[in-house]
Amino acid sequence: MTRFEYDDSDVVVVVGSGAGGGTVANELCQRGFKTVVLEAGPHLTGEDYHQDEWPAFGQMAWSDPRTTSGSWQVATDFPGLPAWLVKAVGGTTTHWAGACPRFKAHEFAARSTYGDLDGASLLDWPIALSELAPYYDKAEIKMGVTHRHGRPPLPANNNYKVFANGAEKLGYRYYSTGPYATNAEPYDGRPASIQDGFNFQGDKNGSKWSTLVAELPKAEKTGNLDLRPDSHVAQIEHDATGRATGVLYVDRNGTLRRQRAAVVCVAGNSIETPRLLLLSGSAQHPDGLANSSGQVGRNYMRHTTGTVWGQFDKPVKMWRGETMAGVIADESRLDTDRGFVGGYYMETISLGPAFLAKFIAPGRWGEPVTELLDGYRNTAGMWIIGEDMPRADNRVSLSGETVDQHGLPVANVHFDDHPNDVAMRRHGQRQGAAVYNAVGAQKTIETPPYPSTHNLGTCRMSQRPRDGVVDRFGRAHDVPNLFISDGSVFTTGAAANPTLTIVALATRQAEYIATELHKTLT
Amino acid sequence: MGSTLLTAQHRQTLVNVVYAAFPHRTFPRGPYERAADAVIDQAGKDPRFLAQLMQGLTDLDAQRDVPFAELDADVAAAVLRGADGTPFLTAIVDSVVVTLYSDPEVWELLGYEGPSFDKGGYLHRGFDDLDWLPDPRIEHEEEMTA
Repeated sequence: MTRFEYDDSDVVVVVGSGAGGGTVANELCQRGFKTVVLEAGPHLTGEDYHQDEWPAFGQMAWSDPRTTSGSWQVATDFPGLPAWLVKAVGGTTTHWAGACPRFKAHEFAARSTYGDLDGASLLDWPIALSELAPYYDKAEIKMGVTHRHGRPPLPANNNYKVFANGAEKLGYRYYSTGPYATNAEPYDGRPASIQDGFNFQGDKNGSKWSTLVAELPKAEKTGNLDLRPDSHVAQIEHDATGRATGVLYVDRNGTLRRQRAAVVCVAGNSIETPRLLLLSGSAQHPDGLANSSGQVGRNYMRHTTGTVWGQFDKPVKMWRGETMAGVIADESRLDTDRGFVGGYYMETISLGPAFLAKFIAPGRWGEPVTELLDGYRNTAGMWIIGEDMPRADNRVSLSGETVDQHGLPVANVHFDDHPNDVAMRRHGQRQGAAVYNAVGAQKTIETPPYPSTHNLGTCRMSQRPRDGVVDRFGRAHDVPNLFISDGSVFTTGAAANPTLTIVALATRQAEYIATELHKTLT
Repeated sequence: MGSTLLTAQHRQTLVNVVYAAFPHRTFPRGPYERAADAVIDQAGKDPRFLAQLMQGLTDLDAQRDVPFAELDADVAAAVLRGADGTPFLTAIVDSVVVTLYSDPEVWELLGYEGPSFDKGGYLHRGFDDLDWLPDPRIEHEEEMTA
């Protein structure tokens, strides 16, 4: 394992090792940059993971305190757990299920396409699909995405058979088992799926792309990676000229360390990234680092989500096989005549009895719950995921009183559903139920949103500095050597699962840092 | 470990509370006893919860002429609904919903097969054995345009 000196001011410091951080780190290592990755969580690997939902959750989830406010149901059901993110090497790529749709062209121009919606802070991205398309290609090839670049599709599992037959009967055309970043056959040194389920629990087999099994091991082979787990960054420092000079972090022994840096890339996800910027306020940056616009933490998005379960008079056994391996894309189309703007996907999902009992009707008990569990064997499931509206006051801010184990104020996540989100969720749940009813469901059940797995916005990309936090390459408008490398930069959320786009943006950003800024920054 | 303040009567009542909260007619008593014991273990580490637990169980036993454990299922459910939303019952439900449905015996009763990695996954053990619907296509011909 390579180690760089704390005082080495030539290194790039990357905060976080998930989709954005792990990718930007590997891309920089491949180009010869000395890179220090500071990951708040431990270094877990395949052998460590549990195929048992609650022990796995306890092992992987970011369970440091957070607070919530606003009218969203998550604040009622899970007041201390607004988001379901991973605190470990690989970040939430160790938890994700692998769905990889691209954004559509109009989704980069949401403000122009959807117009000026009351109560929404829509803005066009400063980049177009055509600009990102080559990086989508690179990301798909890197991740081994099925259905793309010659990668074969995953086979139909039981959950998909119900889902796809329902889709067909309902007249949907765009249903398939992908694209997913899970190997249907061996690829890139990783094995084919053995259909063992438990993608959400780390994927012991390593068939699913994650930065843990793909980007970071490749980065390590270059000799340019210094990966430091159990390292929680507390502050980004800057000099009188306004350039970032390094970070202060708490190491595994509780000691505060300083790592100097030529460039700092922050990729802590859309909750921890703005928290860190807000914690890094100074006389020069009184409202938080890189926050002259006042936009840090604002426009927090979490996708409009919901789950639909169908119960049948015959067995489904949805737990057998990949947790997610089916997509219906028809409702992701541009069609503002449905009573809402934006689109959504339907994707198969499976939970075990432990999570199903907890999430199907949070806090509820009695026969309504046990009857659903008694039908577990005959249950099929799908997740609805669609574009939610950014709102200026949906935001991550520092909690007034609650602090973490290091004494740092924690993030408060405030969210109010936009009426557009409510209308889309209702439509999605109705269509989801229709899919299952088309193949003879005896009962359908709608589950409210889980703690957010797709956390977006909060440091959005904008053409004009006053509208956002970073420019078209994710560079802070206010701090020339500070980059944001995660989903925080999303100007709007689109309908697609975000990981592929985070990886594409991080790949593009690393190329930019390497080619455009190499001479001036190192 | 549970507190010595909790009596056998308390435990008996608690097992019945757990059943009344998650009544599966097909389940034997074992999983409910284990879930109740997990609640007791938790209370042993949390004096405030232990106090609430003892008071709450005593209160439930006093709701009708006979102890809670001797009530018919319907009556027990109605009595328990009266405690819905109390910290006492909320803490029990939050604990039981995790332990009861993480119990391998319960998994078997529900038909869930659980961990599979050590058995080679479900690849050769029926991940695609659903036969009451036709095999669907897994790809679509052309991509969506917008």
